[in-house]
Order: sequence, then C-alpha cells, then structure tokens
Amino acid sequence: MQMLARTLVATTLALAATAALANATVGQPAPAFTATDAAGKTVSLADFKGKHVVLEWVNPGCPYVVKHYSSGNMQGTQREATAKGVVWLSVNSTATDSRDYRAPADMAGWMQQQKAAATATLMDADGKLGRAFGARTTPHMYVIDPAGKLVYAGAIDNKPSSNPADTATATNHVKVALAELLAGKPVSTPVTRPYGCSVKYSSM
Amino acid sequence: MKLFPSLFALGLAATALVSAAQGSAVVTTPQVRAELVAHAPEGLVPGKPAWLGLKIEHKPHWHTYWKNPGDSGLPTTLTWTLPPGVSAGEIDWPTPKRLPIGPLMNFGYEDTLLLPVAITVPAGFAGDTLDVKLNAEWLVCKDVCIPESGEFVLQLPVNAATAGHAALFAAARAARPQDVAGADAKAAVEGPDLVVRVTGLPVAWQGRELGFLPETVGVIVNAAKPQTSWDAGTWTARVPLDPQRSDSPTTMPLVLTSAGEVAGLRVAATVTTPWPAVAPPAPLPALGNAEITLAPAAAAPPGFVLAVAFALVGGLILNLMPCVFPVLSLKVLGFARTGADRRAQLAGGLAYTGGVVLSFVALAAVLLALRAGGEQLGWGFQLQHPAVVAVLAALFTLIGLNLAGVFEFGSVLPSSWAGAQARHPVADHFLTGVLAVAVASPCTAPFMGASLGAAITMPPVQALAVFAALGLGMALPYLAASAWPALARALPRPGIWMQHFKTLMAFPMFATVVWLVWVLGVQVGIDGAVALLGLLVALAFVAWAVGSPTLGPKARGGFGTAAVLLLVAALVWAAPALRQDAIAGGSAAQASDGWEPWSTARVAQAQAEGRTVFVDFTAAWCVTCQFNKRTTLAADDVKAAFADKQVLRLRADWTKRDPAITEQLTRYGRSGVPVYAVYTPGAAGPRLLSEILSVDEVLGAIGAGR
Repeated sequence: MQMLARTLVATTLALAATAALANATVGQPAPAFTATDAAGKTVSLADFKGKHVVLEWVNPGCPYVVKHYSSGNMQGTQREATAKGVVWLSVNSTATDSRDYRAPADMAGWMQQQKAAATATLMDADGKLGRAFGARTTPHMYVIDPAGKLVYAGAIDNKPSSNPADTATATNHVKVALAELLAGKPVSTPVTRPYGCSVKYSSM
Repeated sequence: MKLFPSLFALGLAATALVSAAQGSAVVTTPQVRAELVAHAPEGLVPGKPAWLGLKIEHKPHWHTYWKNPGDSGLPTTLTWTLPPGVSAGEIDWPTPKRLPIGPLMNFGYEDTLLLPVAITVPAGFAGDTLDVKLNAEWLVCKDVCIPESGEFVLQLPVNAATAGHAALFAAARAARPQDVAGADAKAAVEGPDLVVRVTGLPVAWQGRELGFLPETVGVIVNAAKPQTSWDAGTWTARVPLDPQRSDSPTTMPLVLTSAGEVAGLRVAATVTTPWPAVAPPAPLPALGNAEITLAPAAAAPPGFVLAVAFALVGGLILNLMPCVFPVLSLKVLGFARTGADRRAQLAGGLAYTGGVVLSFVALAAVLLALRAGGEQLGWGFQLQHPAVVAVLAALFTLIGLNLAGVFEFGSVLPSSWAGAQARHPVADHFLTGVLAVAVASPCTAPFMGASLGAAITMPPVQALAVFAALGLGMALPYLAASAWPALARALPRPGIWMQHFKTLMAFPMFATVVWLVWVLGVQVGIDGAVALLGLLVALAFVAWAVGSPTLGPKARGGFGTAAVLLLVAALVWAAPALRQDAIAGGSAAQASDGWEPWSTARVAQAQAEGRTVFVDFTAAWCVTCQFNKRTTLAADDVKAAFADKQVLRLRADWTKRDPAITEQLTRYGRSGVPVYAVYTPGAAGPRLLSEILSVDEVLGAIGAGR
C-alpha cells in the first residue's frame, strides 16, 4: 500500500514536471538563459551573440561522462571547438539532493583536473536550464549558431557504449556539426538520440 | 567491469566439472545476479522448441532497460557464441514497466527478469552436448547508473530434457506482448502531436484505459501522458512529438498496456502522414522565449546567522589559545602601563581591530580565490605547506625568545623604524593586528578547521562575512579595553610581576614550536624536522647576538657577523630537507595498528564485500583529530568492536595536500578535518559522526552498541 502510494506520488510528480521539459526545438531560436558559472560569474547566452555555442550536459558521477573524459574525447572536442572561436559551456544540472551533486568549487576542480577546455562550467542545480533545453542524459549535446538558433541536439557520438576505446572509432556528431557550420553549410544530422545516464534533476 | 562471483557461483563451478574449467553460468554484481539458463523440454532436437535466456535478478529499486530504454539508459545486449549451424534469435522482450525519474521517463524492468532467445539446432547436429557462451552487457541504474557485463558459459545435454527453469520461461512467455490478429493501427502527425488510432482490439480490452509504449526510440515525449479516448471500437491516443525527434519511421510498432495485465498487446502502426522536417517552422513554445534567471548555485543557507555567531564566539576563545594569549595579554597590559589619553587608545583599539579583521578576510579571500581557480584546498591549507610551518615555527621561536628576555626588538630595529613607530601609533596598532592573525592562524586550523571549512562552501560574500566575524570576535577584548578605560584600570597595578608574567608566557610559545616541528616532521620526515631545529638554533643565536640588551656594541658586531653567517649556512643546509616533499609513506597516519590508507576504490570494494567501513579523515596539524585518535579510537572497547565486527578501518591523511581527500570531503559537505565516515552494508550512504568523537557513538555506528 505504501509502495503504491509512493509510486502514485512519483508518477504524479513526473507528470507535473513534464510540462517544463523538452521545449527547445532544433531550427528554432534556442531558449535564452542566464546562469551562474562555477566561479560565481553570471553567464548569459546573449553574451555570445555572433558566436557558435556548444552546450554539454555533464555529471562527473556518470560512467558515460567518465567514458568521454577518461578517453580525452570530450576535452579534445572542447579544445578543437574553442580553438576555432566556438564558445563551450558545460552544464551540470545535478540537483543538490542527488548523490552525484558537486558544489561549484568541487565541480570547477574536477573540470580542471580533467584538463577540460570549456569556456565556462554552468551550475544548474535547480535544473531550469536543463529543462528548458530538454536535456535528458549526460552527456547531452547542443549546438547554437551565431544567430542564436538551435542547430544540433543529441549525442556526442554514434557509439552508445561505456567503453572509452569506442570513442576512437565513433563518429563525433558535434565535431561534424561544427565543421559543417564553420564551412557555412547546414548541419547534415541535426538531431540524434542522446545516450548516457539520466540527468539527475531535482524532483521539485 | 569487475565482477564478484557469488558463493553460489563458486559452488556451481565446483560441481559442474566441465564449466568449472571455463567459467560459470552465474555472474553476480552488487546490483544484480545474472544467470544463463536454458529450456529444452524435449532435448536439443531439430524442429523442437529450445530456448536460452538471461535471467537478471535486480537488487531492490535497481532496473535494466527495454529495447526502447526511453529518455536515457541502454538496452541489454546479448552476444552468443554457439557451435556451427546453431543459431540464436532476437531477444523476446517481456512487456516493460514505465520507470519515471524526475521529469524523465524510462522503460525497463525491476525485480526478476528473463530475456528469452529461441535457438534452432540444424538437422544432423552431432554430439552429446552443446556448449553455449554468452557475452552480455547491461546498464543497471537506480539513482546512479553502472554499465556491467558478464561472460557466461553453459553446457547442455543434446539428448535429454533441460527443464529446470520451466516456470521462469513460462512466466516470460506470459509477459511477452501479444500480437493481435485483425487489429489495425495507424499513426498520423497532427500539428505538434502524434495521433495513434487502433481498431480491432480484443473485446476484453475495449473501453479500457490504455497506455502505449513505442518500440521506436526517440519519436514521442516519453514522459507525457497520452490523451486517450474510445469511439465505438476505435481507440485514439494523442501524444506530443519529441521536439528533438531523432527518427522518422514508416511503421511504428507499439505495445499497448492496461493496468492489471502482465502482457501488453503489440500492434504495428503504419505512419500515414509525412514526418515534418526535424526543424519545423512551428511557433516558438512559450517557455522558449522566456528569459530564465538561474539563482546562484547555493542560496543563503539557513545556518548563516548561526555561523556568524559561532565565528564571533570562536574568535573570542581564540584569545585564550596558547599561540595567541601571550601576545595579546601583553598588549592589554600595555594599557595599565601607559594610561595614555582616551582618544588615542580608542584609535589604537580600532586600528588593531581593523588589522585583525582585514587579515582574516584577506586570508579567506586567498583561499576562496584558489578554490575558485580549481585548487583542491580547505581551511587549514596554510599548514599543508612545509614552508609555512617552518616560517611559523621561526616566528614563534623569536616571539618566545623575546618574551624570555633573550633579546629586545628595540635593539634590533633600525632607529628610523622605531621613530616611525612613535610617529604612527595607529599604523603600529594595525600591524599588531596583522601579527596577531599570523600568530593565531596555526590555532584556527586545528581548533576550528571543520566549522570554518563549512563556511568556505557558502557563497563568497557570506564566507567572508563569517571570517570577518571571527576577526571581530578575536579583537573584541582589546577593543573593549581601549574603549572603556575602566576595564583596563581593573587590571592589577604594574609591578615586577609583569616582568615575570612576560617570561612565563615564553613557555606556551615554545610548546607551540614543538608542535609545529612535529607537524613538519610528519610532512617531510625526520630530516626536515632536524633541519628546522638547526635553523631555529641559528636563528636564536642571531637574535641573541644582535638583540641582547646586555651585549656591548663591539661584542654585538662580532657575534652578530658570526651569527648571521651561521644562519645563512644553516638555511643553505636546511632548505633541501624542508623542500623535499612527501617522502613515501612519511605520514604519521600510514598503515599501522590495523589501519589501512584510504581510497575510494578500497571503500567501494569493501562495500561490495558487505563489510562495514570506518574512515578517519585526519591531519597531523589538527589537534581535535589527534585527540580523538589517542582517546576514543584507541579505547579498548572500540578496538575490540572493530575486530569483532571485522570493520575495515581506513585513514585518510590530509596533513599534506591531497586533492582526492579534498574532493571526498567536499562530497560530504565539509572542507576541513576531522571527519569520521561509517559505511554500513545496505545503507544508502555513509553516516558522518561528530567531530568530538565518543566511544558510544562509534560503537553505535558500527552496530556494536551497548
């Protein structure tokens, strides 16, 4: 009985929360946002008008995130992108009540330890940014063009495994999309299915 | 992926002679028990039914995924190695459950699951036995996800029945979605929605409240509840399309579900309309335009006011610490001696307060800035550098010698400086405040490290406010004495006792030096400690030679030159030993007396083995830690209980900088030591004990309560 009640409550919460999720649409202007980075600085999407922006959902407690960082795949993609003037924002939407939650300084420390080359690491513990973009997994990748339009949403690559070695042979969707965009072409695969752990949203 | 074979698996391997040599049919992890099973009631004969299957028993609340895992997750994959001619089909997935997680929706299984696969044996298959090898990969999740895999081996008799798991296979068959003869399903895109219409469903299902699960990944919003209706015999469901749709199928197999039915119904819906471009020119969703302002990551914690109050009291108490009391008491005694005019005294008191508060804030700001830059530091970080410890030891030695009367500052300082001191008494008071903080800092870390550590995790402005309050508390007695001369007048009359008191105060200073030398010894080893002691002797010689009030100018010149040369030589000799960082195993808290060095891997391993783990996060410079170590943790009751319960005791030594330990402390919401963490089997997370550890608390935490 208690189990049933708990299930009902959980289901109701899930349904109530659904309304706020997954509204960002590829081909449409990306949701505007202002967030606080791990150093406490305010970062707005509007700051980067005229530049390509990559959003990466990250959670150091997720094996699939670890896959892409231990293999150096994510950092490599970050370096290649930022070297071409692309803005890279890593977003941690893990809620404070999750076991995976990291305080801003801790998160910044992890990124530095990983030698990540992100422009900024955004702290989104209340999940507003994640819900606005409909981020489901870690990693979940988005690319926004200089006009502020969402042009890619989905996985980092096409090998949904937890094996770091697979990154060597996989097609990196974000690298492909950025190469196409910087060459003035439209993104050939604008949406893929993201894979990884669920984003650990707060249940509020 | 490290797997832990269960006792059962070991027993099985011991009895099953052949498979024991190559592997086992069972793989057990902390989250699941997985077993390769078979069902061939009439033997492995061509044309007769034969099944293999992976049975997965999930620990409570853990789940694995369906072929469409939903918003996250991955389906379980099976890769078979079978003799030539023998082939295995696809997984016959049982009807999954909806598993909501926050705003997301997954489809998968909890409890006991069988993933059956039909096998076909070719005509004329030779041999008495059939060897089956399986490589399975599954992602198992609760609030965390763990990718796991296993190698399974099974040997089946060809000419005898294998039916030990008949009930399990029957249950899986009963749970597979049933195909419906004569059913017709169509799917159409209507605006932002996908509309599914199904006719010809069984009479028993007509009129019921139904749900549906798409086998195709990434088409609809999985978490949305479909709007459903019945119109005569047609069931209609409308569900929003995924704005980030990743597939555009021509046929969508669907599983319809009904409450109370174990098995769903499977229909293949033909898609009758073209799919919109993935980037449809639809109106922008309302939320899309809205500017979202995200609050700073940490809002004001309710404990902020309390933290400020504690810091104020802590600052007051700081005046009584052995490193601060001598300096401060003499400063206050100055009032009794001078009796200068009130305004000058008040100005001096305020300047001193300013010096103390600003020094604390500056120290905290440096720490916060380093942390923001990604340094893994906590409060007490000053003492993690051997050089800082050595400089503090030198400072305390000098102050001690001065108090003991070995030398006078007046004879050391150039006369221009002494003149400046007289001309700018306010600046002098301010600098005294700075000195007081320098002298106090080794005492704040050991006695208040944990609470100040907590302050660091607050937003910067609040953290700085807490440190400012600490400084204010420390300066308060002196400020009060300067503001109300009546207080100063309450002090005993000046006399020869003041000289005796001053000399007496040298001894707590030297005691502090002993402690600092020990801390340095833990950091860099015995050579470093001896190097520091040698340096201190040379320094004392310089202080006496240059500053002794009893030496004449000529003797001072001679001894002074020799002493300075000696000090330079001592520095050259000592520097390498002091710089030499982290001699291997040089820490006092290394493996000893049954304690092992801490690592997250060791904790995880012990947890998987079902052992209780006690972790002591400690540092040599942390007095509270040393107190607990020598009292509670050394108590016979505690030692006996640790042995009795086979508790794995791990020690994490933070005397030197260690990013892994800092990271773990942050995860606990702390950034200072001591921290005592107890992991018990079955508990969701570790339990943190209080900083002043009691025997009863330890016994209770490890389940050996009296």
